[in-house]
Formats: sequence, structure tokens, C-alpha cells
Amino acid sequence: MTDMSDTGMSDIAAGQRVLNEAAPKMIARDVDVFYGDKKAIDNVSIDIALENVTAFIGPSGCGKSTFLRALNRMNDTIASARVTGKIELDGEDIYSSGMDVVQLRARVGMVFQKPNPFPKSIYENVAYGPRIHGLASGKADMDQIVEKSLKRAGLWEEVKDRLAESGTALSGGQQQRLCIARAIAVDPEVILMDEPCSALDPIATAKIEELIHELRGRYAIVIVTHNMQQAARVSQRTAFFHLGNLVEYGDTSEIFTNPRATRTKDYITGRYG
Amino acid sequence: MTNTTHAEPRRTPTNWNDQAMQERIRGRYASERRFRLLGLFAVLLSAGFLAFLLVTMAANGARGFTQTEVRVEVDFAKSALFIDPAALEGFGADAALAGADIDGAVQTAVRAQYGESADGLLSDAAWLRVRDAILEDPALLNRSETFWLPARSGLDQAAKSDGSAADEQIYRQLDDQDSVRTGFNLGFLTGADATDPTVVGIWGAFKGSLFTMLVTLALAFPIGVLSAIYLEEYAPRNRWTDLIEVSINNLAAVPSIIFGLLGLAVFLNFMHLPRSAPLVGGITLALMTMPVIVIAGRNAIKSVPPSIRDAALGVGASRVQVVFHHVLPLALPGILTGTIIGMARALGETAPLLMIGMRAFIASPPGGFTEPATVLPVQIFLWSDEVSRGFVEKTSAAIIVLLAFLLAMNGLAIYLRNKFERRW
Amino acid sequence: MSLAALALLILGLGLIAWVAARAKAMSFGSTGQARQHSLPNYHGWYVALWAVLPALFFLTIWSSVSGGLVTQTVLESPAAASLPAMEMQRDAILDEARRLAEGRIDAAFNPEAEALAPIYAEATSFYSLIGSSIALLLAFAAGAFAFTRLSPTFRARTRVERLVMASLLIASLIAILTTLGIVLSLLFESLRFFSMVSPVEFLFGLNWSPQMAIRADQAGSSGAFGAIPLFWGTIFIGAIIAMIVAIPLGLMSAIYLTQYASGRVRAWMKPALEMLAGVPTVVYGYFAALTVAPAIRDFAVTIGIPGASSESALAAGLVMGIMIIPFVSSMADDSIAAVPQAMRDGSLAMGATTSETIRRVLVPAALPGVVGGVLLAVSRAIGETMIVVMAAGLAANLTANPFQSVTTVTTQIVQLLTGDQEFDSAKTLAAFALGLVLFIITLLLNIVALRVVKKYREAYD
Repeated sequence: MTDMSDTGMSDIAAGQRVLNEAAPKMIARDVDVFYGDKKAIDNVSIDIALENVTAFIGPSGCGKSTFLRALNRMNDTIASARVTGKIELDGEDIYSSGMDVVQLRARVGMVFQKPNPFPKSIYENVAYGPRIHGLASGKADMDQIVEKSLKRAGLWEEVKDRLAESGTALSGGQQQRLCIARAIAVDPEVILMDEPCSALDPIATAKIEELIHELRGRYAIVIVTHNMQQAARVSQRTAFFHLGNLVEYGDTSEIFTNPRATRTKDYITGRYG
Repeated sequence: MTNTTHAEPRRTPTNWNDQAMQERIRGRYASERRFRLLGLFAVLLSAGFLAFLLVTMAANGARGFTQTEVRVEVDFAKSALFIDPAALEGFGADAALAGADIDGAVQTAVRAQYGESADGLLSDAAWLRVRDAILEDPALLNRSETFWLPARSGLDQAAKSDGSAADEQIYRQLDDQDSVRTGFNLGFLTGADATDPTVVGIWGAFKGSLFTMLVTLALAFPIGVLSAIYLEEYAPRNRWTDLIEVSINNLAAVPSIIFGLLGLAVFLNFMHLPRSAPLVGGITLALMTMPVIVIAGRNAIKSVPPSIRDAALGVGASRVQVVFHHVLPLALPGILTGTIIGMARALGETAPLLMIGMRAFIASPPGGFTEPATVLPVQIFLWSDEVSRGFVEKTSAAIIVLLAFLLAMNGLAIYLRNKFERRW
Repeated sequence: MSLAALALLILGLGLIAWVAARAKAMSFGSTGQARQHSLPNYHGWYVALWAVLPALFFLTIWSSVSGGLVTQTVLESPAAASLPAMEMQRDAILDEARRLAEGRIDAAFNPEAEALAPIYAEATSFYSLIGSSIALLLAFAAGAFAFTRLSPTFRARTRVERLVMASLLIASLIAILTTLGIVLSLLFESLRFFSMVSPVEFLFGLNWSPQMAIRADQAGSSGAFGAIPLFWGTIFIGAIIAMIVAIPLGLMSAIYLTQYASGRVRAWMKPALEMLAGVPTVVYGYFAALTVAPAIRDFAVTIGIPGASSESALAAGLVMGIMIIPFVSSMADDSIAAVPQAMRDGSLAMGATTSETIRRVLVPAALPGVVGGVLLAVSRAIGETMIVVMAAGLAANLTANPFQSVTTVTTQIVQLLTGDQEFDSAKTLAAFALGLVLFIITLLLNIVALRVVKKYREAYD
């Protein structure tokens, strides 16, 4: 894994290799998502591989975020939303009645478009998840989890002396890394990222992208982005969504150099979007 | 970015199927259910208080609308009553009837009919009904006539199964002779305050409320709307405007009794306006209601989009024309809703009116804005202080009338809001 | 001529002026000159306002001074020489004479009044004639003056609009005047009170018994004005007992209705809770006195609590708490709704349950808003009058036993100012001092609360 952290191009090549070996972590089959009567996602089937970064790209309103939210049942919070089809995590249907949504969301973490730290201290933000799930056995253990998570999120050096300050006092990029630390503190298996850099400046964006590289070896990461360069830089696999359909899904290098569908080609060459 | 992460061992996944973890999750769901139930309990308890209050008032008050009457046959020809029928024509009638002992004649008739012990069968004010009948038809004086006269309060309670044992006994006897009936108490809606609960009415207090509300509306509405227009459309951003805004916001939160103190000190003691009058009550309540109308008015005016103003200014309308031709008509439903809500609050207000003397015993409905009057809520307060058992149901009945009016006003406000609410 | 008839006459004159001026302005159009500045209607309004406003203004002034002038004339007449010197008696006779002159009573009790009545009637008609003629003259003169100014280039609209603007400004100044009136009247009467009773005794004294002695040599003739028991009673009922009821119920109701309830439940229960706020306080007071207080006393007696009173702090506080529920719940509702959806999503996405999200994220985040709302609710509760007047009692006890009777600031204000008493006694003025304290406290609570809420709103905007 250590050899993958340098440049973008070699990454994509490496990703292809990993892809061939990795077993799928999540499987979606014939998934439709409705908002009331409106169909937002139409018959999408996709595999999310372990230890990979999968990018969802497509023009705004194409349904990529909707589909992402279906993967950890965040659509449940919208009263009119309805999901049909099958989505499995490690072979278990996440929409089955036996699936506990609390557990599911602990296993499939999420980072949002706009950094949303809680109005609590930095420490409490990270400790929130382990605390509600009872993952720490004591104060020392919790300290360790917080430190480890902040280190993994690359934020530890910047905040270690002011853990008691409010999370909302950090800069936008730091806030987003705090949210990532918060997500990894519960030890998830999959991390969903919904345009995590869209509210950030280029320098903060570069830091987050670097972080995604670092994390890739530990989690299955799904990132929604409408920045194609970003998709090319960070992901090994890319799925192109358009009007609620999954148009094309494959290795990132493949999609960007040799797209099969004309819609994909038009999009990545900037005809629309 | 540190490189230490790479040195860490691969993570060991959390074992969610572990026994302890499953226990914990069950516990969390149980606490979720408890919390949810707690919320439901709070809502139901709050609503339950409302229901209990309304049911208590309705149960007590429903009886206030009925009245027990005793049949009394008065033979005027044989009675010792002597009234010159000629005196009943014209202005001297009241004096002539006041001089005659009608009360005595009625008492005699009761005694003749129900025995010597039946002295306290009727309400003290029962003879007034006989007097009114004579006034209407002087020919009665030459013959015998059957009257249904209001029973005394204790008997009235007994009729509603809430009296003393002795009274219930009397009531049963009368009931067996068909000499007693219970019917709708029209007098309650048409009469004024009295010392005897069987003959009190709320028309006097209602009329007082009406006069007071008219004064309040006539002052608070124009002043409130004009202030709202000024603040929202014309006011320059300066210290004076800030002062006006702060004043209005604070006035909206000042306890109502403080307005009563203001009314007492300024309107009564300084300006020497008449005490207990709807005029003063109305002015006092207007000062209280005005901020509510200003705040509602400003919100309504604010919600009219600027594009409408620009369009009118664009065709050459003056700033006054823009507001009075375009903005105000569009904001009017919102302003009216706020006004009705403010007026409903004023209608239910008691404390400030106590301060300016509207708690007097007023036995006849007020005839004008400067005559002593009382209002519905104050009447309720006064009756609630009475020791006589019969006043309990009258108080509750008056509360029902007041609540009915408030409900109607609030309903109208909601209707207006739903009908004219516009989203821009 | 009666005042109302005169006012109507002047308004009639205004109407004639309006029609005439409008007609004149219309004729400008036919002369073929350059476009006139204002529409004929505005010319009409301009002249009509000139005709009506000065005359009505004069009438208002005149009606307030003419009464005094009439009395002056009557007193100077020879028949008045026999009037008693004592002011109260004299006023009673004059009042009777006036009512006699106006035909409101048929006969007078005092013979002097009978004699004065004709003089009274004469003086009244004399001054009313003067007033009416001046008013009508003013209406004519001002109207005519305005009429002569009309011309095609006359800017009637600008002038009318200037008046509209002036009336807008005047209307909005009434709020300042009211505030000023409250502050000045409270301050003025309180200062008079504090010249009789030391502020230190008032603010820190432990003994409240405002009954004044009738004779000077009576024991304790000055009464005791230590208001601490009142302040304690107010806080005990309004800020402690009522809040113990209102905060949990209001907060939990708001949480349930916004986070759990289905649309249908919300549509029915929200207005039901709001209805609690619309019930007049006198109804709550009656409910407290009639139903709640006896039940609480019986309960206290059953469990053997000493000093249980039928007018208990608990009864008043409990019912006041119920009254405050919708207030707390709507403030909590607003505050929770102002927490961004992203917070909620963030917590749910971590695998938190709804109640964990509410308790650990939403409520802490909404806390400043909730606290502000509670402060406003406290200010509403301590200023509330009828419930405590009817259910809390008058005994100024300094006790923490909720089954005992305590009294509050507002109860005492009502108690001190109702009934017959002279206005200048310390007892009456004490009510204004209490009012001043109440005003200052509620004002401070409101300022702090609004500032907290505002800051909180800004944090999420």
C-alpha cells in the first residue's frame, strides 16, 4: 500500500490492479429511488470495492448524491423518499427489516458537502460517535481514539493544543477534516463523501484529496464530485450518472481516456454539465 | 500530513454482533422509545390541561344558561295592590310602580299557594318580572294571572342536583305538583349585573366590552398601521428610528398591569378623564394593542416584494402613491390578521382595566363611551369573588361566552391568513 | 350646538370645499394650458384639509378650556356668592347644577344648584356660541385661503403627501410617547413614594403590611413597606414553580411535534397548544381558584403538610406554568428549527438515533435560543396578574413551602389600587414603586433575552 501515495497517474494504474483482486464491499442491484412520484434514480446496479476510491460524477441533479444517500439510508430522513431494489453490505441487504440502521450508519460513515461540525469542542466532535456507540472503555481509551482519528485525518498537529475549542471556530478546510475525523472515529468500513471539497478553497481541497489517498488503504471510499479532475486524481473507479441513470462504470483511466458511451464522452470533454 | 498512519497495524473491525454490543443497541432503542413516549406524554398532558379546563367550564357553565322558575298565580283584583291605571301612562309609571308594594303582593300570592313556610321560594328580584308585565299590560291589574318567576338561588341549585338536602326536598315537592320548571335563561344574555345570582346577566358587561373594543380599534388600528408603514417604508436609518423600534418592541413585552398604572396616572389623575369609562379603558388597551399591530403590519409590509414598488415607481408614482395604491392593499390581509389577534388579546384583558376602575358594580348597561361600565373579563373576575354558590355557574357561563367570542375571532384570523396568504 | 353636530358641520364644509376645489381644478384642464402638476382630486384634498383641520384643532382645544371658562363665569355670578367655601361641597353643587342645566336630571338635591342652573345654562350656551362661530369662521377662512392658491401649476399633491408623511411620523411617535408616559408616571409617583418611605427599606425590608393607620396616635401608623416577601413570592411562583411545569412540558412538546409527530398530528396539536395561549388569564385564574387550589389543599392535608392554604403558591404557579407552555414550546420550536439540517444529518449519519441526535446535538445547539425563550417566558410570568390575584392570596409570607400562601408584586399592585383611598397616601404610591420595579425587571429580562436570541440567530445565518 505504501507505494501508492505519490502521483496521480501511477495511482490509477495501481487502482486497476487492486480492483481486479478486491471483493465487492457493497453491491447495488436494480435500485430505484423515488421522491414522492418522481423517480430520481432509475435502475442502477453497481459494485463498490474494498480498499478503493469510487467516484460518482455527472452534471448537477443527475442523482449521484441521491444514490450516495441511499447507501447508508440517509434518505430515510426524507419522508417522501422511497428506495426499491437491493443494496447489500457484505452480502447483507441494508433495506431488510433485520438491518439496524444505527449499526449500518456506524459501518457506512458519511462526510457532507458543507462541513457540519457540531457546535461543540473539537474533542467532543470526534468523541461523539464512539460515545453514542459505546466504543471507548474509558477516558484514556477515548483520548486515544480521538488522537488517532485526528491523526488519520491529518488534523492532529494543527489542533492538539486546542482540543477544547469549538469545532465551528476552525477554518473551512479544517472543519471538513474534523468531519472526516469524526466519521473515522467510529471505525467505519465504508466512507461516503458527498462533494466534500465543493465548499473549500484549492489549498484545503488539495489537503483533503491527499487525505483520501491516505485513507484509501483502510476503507472503501465513495466520493461524489462534479470536478472531473478531482475524480481523475483520487479515484480508481468512476461511475458516470446522467438523469438518474448510471451511464457508464469502470476504471477511472478507462473512463477518462476511452469512454464507451457518447454521453460520457460529451460530459468529460465539456459539452454539457 | 503525518506518515505515522502507515505504521499502524491494520484496524480490527468493530464486532457489531458481539453480545454486549447487541445489548447496548437494544438499550439505545429502548431509550429512543422512552424519549418518544415522553414527548407524546408532554403533548397529551398539555392538550389534556386545555381539555380539562374547557370541560370544567362547560360543565359548570352549561347550567348557568338555564333557570329554575316557580309557577305563581297572582290575583291582582283580590290583592291589596292599588295602582291607578291612569298613572301607568307616560313618565310617572316607574314612580307609580315603585311606590306600590308589588313584592308584597307576590309574597302574599306565594304564601296563599304554597303555605306559610314558602317565604323564601322566589328570588329577591322575582317581583321585577311582575312589574314589567304590568307595565306592558295594565289591564292585568283587574284579573288573575299565572307567572313563572325565578326561583331563589338555593332552589335553582337543587333543581340542578347540586343543592342542600332541604332545598332538594322542597324542589321535589314542587316538582310533583308541576309547579316548577327549568328552562333557557334568556335573562342571562339580556340582563346586567345584580346582587342575586338568579337574575344576573352579561349584556351589560358585553356592551361595555363592545364600547371599549370600539375605542381600542379606532385608535390602535390607524396608529398601528401608519407606524408600520412609516417604519417599514420611509423611516431613515437614524437614532430616532432606532428609538421608535426599541419602544415598540419593549411595549409589546411590558406587563399589561403597567399599562393600567399608566392609565390611572395619566388619563385619570392627570387628564381627569371619567373613571370606569369605556373611553379610558379603550385608550389604555389601544396603547397595549398598538405594538402588536405594528409588528404584524411590518411583517406583512416586508413580505410585499420590492419588485412591486419598483414597478410602481417606474411608471412615475410618488412614494406615497406607491404605498397606498400598491403595498398597503397587498399587505392588508396580514395586517388584519394581526389586528384581530391583538383585539382578541385586548378583549380577554383584565388587569389594566381593574386599575382604571372598571370593576364597579354596574347594574344597568352603559349608554355611552363615558358612562361607567365593566367588561366581560372583569365581570368574570367580580363574579368569581362572590361567595354565593349560584355565582359559580354564572361565572363559568360568562367564561363560555367570552371564550366563544375569542374562538370566533381567532378562527376568523386563521381563515383570513389561509385565504389571503400569498407566497411571492 | 353640540360638539358632535359642529364637527359634522365642519366635515360637511370640508366636503363642499373638496367638491368646489376639484371642480376648479378640472376647469384648468379645459383652458388648454400646459399640463397641470396635480390631479384635480389632490386639489380637492388640499382645500378640504385646510378647511377641516385647523377648525377641528381649534375645537379640540376649545372643548378642553370652555368647561373651565363656564365654571369661572358661574362662580363670578352674584348667585354663587352663597356657595360653601369647602371645595368638595362646592364642586358637588356645581356638578349638580351642570347636570340640571343639561337636562340630565329633573330635580336637584341642593337648593343652591337650582338657583345656579339657569346661570349655568346661559354661560354654557354663550361660550358654545363663541366657540362654534370661531370654529366655523376658521373653517371658512382657511378653506378660502387654500382655494385662492389653486392654479394649474400649484403642487397640490406634494403638499397633501407632505401631510400624509407628517401623520405617519406622528403615529410612530406615539410609541415613544407611551414609553415615556410609562417611565415618567412610574418614576414620578415612585419618587413621591420614596420621599415617604426609604428605598432601602422598600427594597430590602422583610416585612410587608401596607395598611395605614387611621389615627395618628395608632400603633404602627406608618405601615411597613419591605417588599422582599413580594419579590420572593413573585419569583417563587413565576420563575420557579411555573417554569418547573412549563419548561419540560413546553420543550418536550416542541420536540415531539417537530421531530416525531406525523403531519396530521402536528396539524391538530399545534393549534391546540396555541389555544392555551389564547385563553384569557382571568379564565386561568378562575380555573386555579375553583378547581386546582382546593384539590392541592386537599392533597396537602392528606399527606399531612403543615400550613396548607387554600390559596397556595403551588396552585397559582401550576396554572401559570400551563399558561406559559405554548410560549416556551413556540420559542423552542423556532430555536430547534433554526439549527441547520446539516447538524441533524451529520449526527444521524454517524449512526445516532433520533433521540440521541435531539439530546446531544439539536438541543445543545438550540440552547441559546431556548434560554432566551425561557427568559421571555419568565418575564411574561412575573408580570402576569389575574392568576395570582385570584389564586395566590395576599399574605406576604417569606416561605419556600409551595402549599402555603405567598403574594406577588402584581397582586399587591391590584390590592393597593382597588377600593377607595386617597391618591396621595403612601399605600397607593407604593403600587407605583412596585410597578417601577416590575417594569425595570421585565425590561431587563427582555433586553437580555432578545440579545441572546438575536446572537444565536446570527450564528446560523
